Amino acid sequence: MSNNKHPRLRLPKFTGRILISLVLLVLVIISIQVTQPDMGKLISSFEKGRQITDGLLSPDILEKKSLGSYTISIAVPVPCNSAPQEIIPDEGHRLEIVPGCANPRDLVILNGYDLGENADVNMRWVLPNGKLFSIRTAKTDSSGNLSEEIDVRPITVAVDGIPSRLEIEVFQPGSTYSASKTITDVFNNMYVTIFMALLATTIGTLFSLPLSFLAASNITRKGVVGSAVYYSVRFFLNMIRSYEPLVMASIFALIVGFGNPFAGVLALSVVTAASLGKMFSESVESIDPGPIEALQASGATPLQVVLYAVVPQIVPDFLSFAIYHWDINVRISTIIGFVGGGGIGYFLSEKINTFNYSSAGTAILAIIIVVWVLDFLSSEIRKQFT
Amino acid sequence: MLRVEHLTKVYPNGTVALKDVSFEVPDGEFLVVIGLSGSGKSTLLRCINRLIDPTEGKIFLDDQEITSANSTELRHIRRKIGMIFQQFNLVKRSTVLTNTLNGRLGYANPFLSLLGIWPQADKDMAMAALNRVGIADKAKNRADALSGGQQQRVGISRALMQEPRIILADEPVASLDPVLAHSILQYLEQMNKTDRVTVICSLHFLDLVHRYGTHVIGLKDGMKVFEGAPSEIDRARFKAIYGEEAQEVRATALE
Repeated sequence: MSNNKHPRLRLPKFTGRILISLVLLVLVIISIQVTQPDMGKLISSFEKGRQITDGLLSPDILEKKSLGSYTISIAVPVPCNSAPQEIIPDEGHRLEIVPGCANPRDLVILNGYDLGENADVNMRWVLPNGKLFSIRTAKTDSSGNLSEEIDVRPITVAVDGIPSRLEIEVFQPGSTYSASKTITDVFNNMYVTIFMALLATTIGTLFSLPLSFLAASNITRKGVVGSAVYYSVRFFLNMIRSYEPLVMASIFALIVGFGNPFAGVLALSVVTAASLGKMFSESVESIDPGPIEALQASGATPLQVVLYAVVPQIVPDFLSFAIYHWDINVRISTIIGFVGGGGIGYFLSEKINTFNYSSAGTAILAIIIVVWVLDFLSSEIRKQFT
Repeated sequence: MLRVEHLTKVYPNGTVALKDVSFEVPDGEFLVVIGLSGSGKSTLLRCINRLIDPTEGKIFLDDQEITSANSTELRHIRRKIGMIFQQFNLVKRSTVLTNTLNGRLGYANPFLSLLGIWPQADKDMAMAALNRVGIADKAKNRADALSGGQQQRVGISRALMQEPRIILADEPVASLDPVLAHSILQYLEQMNKTDRVTVICSLHFLDLVHRYGTHVIGLKDGMKVFEGAPSEIDRARFKAIYGEEAQEVRATALE
């Protein structure tokens, strides 16, 4: 009978279940008391939630830009014969004044042709001394022509044969789309994040290499000194691994400055060194001891043994782990910005804190895309090593 | 001349693997060590190149005491003692050529070898060794792409690179198909006969003992229970060494 093999107190099944259910119920009640969830709040702030979600879901990606403007002008001799009249071209956007010259306080008609349909136009005088004198704005008609009455004011009298000119600035209607400023910012910050992760992974990997050999029982745990090193390195690695990268990053942000990518690099490097050190050491421990024995027997030095018998066995694992960790680090570094680690996370937290939800939406979209792409890339690359 | 004096090995867990074993191996001998699994054959071979440090006793190569050598002296002694393993012990991901060159590490320039640079002379020597065991065409293959018999031949070419005076062969054919046994042992015999290399080899099959050995040692429970010429070993002796319960071993071996 199994009861004989496990001689311990066994409650009847039914009672046991009721007890477990009671304990669970008590736990749930305690959790509700502690966290005080307020469902009413969730419903009453539905409108606010909707606004935020709308902002996040309409990321700021493209920017409307007008096609630009151009300027043309025509000389207006005031009074007549104070300067020659200009010859008006037959095509292209062009201006004419009727009559061709005027005396002060007269009315002239400014006609414009082929200026572009429904375009906004700024009209102004360019006085002989080069000063601008604004008249008013107008709009071209549906065939792109303009016809406006203009007061000829005494200020426009020609000086030394140089006439005043009537100038119009035409703003072409319609617009093009181009990448918004937010996109540029997100791109720059994402760039920082990816390279922050790459640098951290590189530094972390470099430190993890010696640590991994020291934390591998088959390499290090020999004799009293070896065992002491082995256990202390392992304890050290486990201790660091129990720190969340976020905690680490906020500590480093206090030291090197909030929003400084270097804080993120430091935090991720330490975490990567500890994590890869542990993973690598397990990889070292699982190698085939045969080649080590064979090379020792042939008179190779300990360093040669590591290089020729251990390294070839662990390189594929190491590369694969390191690339995987880069992938993880990009993911973490997007978050690390929130606690001052710099990069896209810092940008995102800034935008959220300033209620700029569509910019935040752009950042979130970028994070999703980058994480997907890296996930795919790293798994593809790792396939090459297995 | 290899001299083993009162060799005893007790493992930390209390297992007595060798108990007061003494014998001499003159140069050029093909010494076969027989005995059940766990009788101490592997421990004996590994004590000779000190992959395992004996608890008591001394081993001399000529007049040099192996058992008291410091690490540098030991590496110089080990260069002269090639070893062949039951499980081949190749670096599976490295090429056949690299595995062969590994046998030369004891002679290599320590700095160049750490950079992975080998002199052309060593490469030529490795190709010659591979040629000798008939797998020169596999030089660029990964070691784990080879069959068991071919892998053991890489093991032999690796040992050849040491230009050894002694070859320790720890059950070199036990992991192989029995029909391949001769194809491997013939290379050991050739090294023994033409290069005058002393061979110390543990074997399981009586016909192989008769065919290749010039001298035989029998181990049982860590003690030397037999020493003599291969011809002295008959069914009765074999049974005494392998024990009453080893009917199958005896039957197979005598077949």
